[in-house]
Amino acid sequence: MNRTPEQKLLEPAPGGKIAEAQKFGLDLSLIVENMRLSPEARVRKLQSAMMSFEKLKAEASKSSNTRR
Amino acid sequence: MIDIEKAIVALATESADFVLIGGVALSIHSAAYVTYDIDFCFSREKANLVKITRALSPFSPRPRNFPKELPFIWDVSTLGNGSVFKLDTSIGDIDLLSEVAGLGSYENVLSQSEKFEMFGVEIDVLSVAGLIAAKIAAGREKDLLGLTHLKAIQAAHSDSEL
Repeated sequence: MNRTPEQKLLEPAPGGKIAEAQKFGLDLSLIVENMRLSPEARVRKLQSAMMSFEKLKAEASKSSNTRR
Repeated sequence: MIDIEKAIVALATESADFVLIGGVALSIHSAAYVTYDIDFCFSREKANLVKITRALSPFSPRPRNFPKELPFIWDVSTLGNGSVFKLDTSIGDIDLLSEVAGLGSYENVLSQSEKFEMFGVEIDVLSVAGLIAAKIAAGREKDLLGLTHLKAIQAAHSDSEL
């Protein structure tokens, strides 16, 4: 029986590219989570992640300047 | 940090011929991957250069790390005189390429793209297979993570799983 992309990612077949990616350290559930979104929602999620990283970077730089 | 929606809508509103490539394309294909810029492959047809120039003008593009004291003119002639532009704009970093490693010119890149609808416009996005070919050809260590995402996504959608 053919498995869905989600099933393939959540239960990777041994020896395949997906199992290899898991071994590499990818959290495959994040890809599954994205697959459930529309393409526009995926971009909005990326934009939000960018903003969080920027904020974190700014905070880290602020705290490093305060310590000096 | 790039404002993805503004960059895409600006080019699409001018009906420019472009294909979205790079990290944002990876995300559109479901990769859990974070990038800070946006990359487009563009057609070097004269009419298209006019459209791209007009679309990005409101964002005051300048080459990244270009000395502030030096003048830079963003026009059709500038765009026509180069094939790779790494731009700093008021909406973030935008890279424009007329060719992509492993794929070639805009026409070849377009033939390996898929249409997606978002933000009220329809755009061409480089396919998973196209992104894999480009990343392999680029041979950069920093692409390894993205490549691993892409191969997993490709395998998830293929019949063989291997």
